[in-house]
Amino acid sequence: MMQRFEAILLFYRPLFIWSFAVNVLIIIVNPHIFTTVITKLLLTIFVWYLINETNRERKLIFYKNLGISTFKLFSAIFLIDIFITIGFLLIMQEFI
Amino acid sequence: MILEIDSIELYFSSKRILNGVYLKAETGKVTGILGSNGSGKSCLMNIIFGSLQPKYKLIRIDNEPILKPLYTINCVGFLPQHALTPNNIKVKTVFKLFRLDWLEFITVFESFSLFKNSKINNLSGGERRVLETYLILKSKNEIIILDEPFSHIAPLYIEKFKRLIAIEKQTKAIIITDHYFRDVIDTSDELYLLKNGCTKLINNLEELEDYKYLSIGSLD
Repeated sequence: MMQRFEAILLFYRPLFIWSFAVNVLIIIVNPHIFTTVITKLLLTIFVWYLINETNRERKLIFYKNLGISTFKLFSAIFLIDIFITIGFLLIMQEFI
Repeated sequence: MILEIDSIELYFSSKRILNGVYLKAETGKVTGILGSNGSGKSCLMNIIFGSLQPKYKLIRIDNEPILKPLYTINCVGFLPQHALTPNNIKVKTVFKLFRLDWLEFITVFESFSLFKNSKINNLSGGERRVLETYLILKSKNEIIILDEPFSHIAPLYIEKFKRLIAIEKQTKAIIITDHYFRDVIDTSDELYLLKNGCTKLINNLEELEDYKYLSIGSLD
């Protein structure tokens, strides 16, 4: 189980910097939790679509070998991302 | 454990790739698949693993139909034709994820001992292939699918993998395909030829010439 979680974090790692940039934009434009969740959900679906439409889909076989389906992988990175994003928003709202 | 794959039909648009495929793999045996380029070997392996959805398929394990992709029930390891591992990951991390012992690996592949802390993309293509083949072959799965494990690696490593396959097959069902047909023939206990979208069980190696997979005299 821990191995799978670690593998999911490895998949999320290169996406974190992009996610953080989006978080900064959200703070500037509309720092509300509901719109943030919807934005992040749409972005996760967009990344999923992007990977499916390119030969990067092959990369998912590594995760499938660890028993992580594509749905599980993207659901998990969405949840991890939302957890980080909401934490970030709550901290930033203290300063706004 | 006995794995049976039956009634597979795969189309890409209107082009028929596979139809009427039957294949059986069981613990203690290596099942080899031979076939020309474009015959559908890799598609068949992807279908067995569960990463490609055909129009029809029937997969049974010990006579029980399996409706979910095999990888979701954690019983199968698949080495695809292309690179398996992510680039920016350390070699030791991959071993940790697959729950494999690094020391055991370097007793077989001594020259890799320097790479424990290296990132995967610092290995050469052949070294990476050796590492990935080892990961899948030694993974804790009962079914192992190897797509071109002998391609792009040095002859010395091919021999090592043949010995490893002979050991691992005692507890696993192994399915293997490669264009290095002599190595596949040497390794396999059962051999299928994939031609015109169908599998044919090969009982006599001369059939490979009869079906025009090999030219006459290739086996001499």
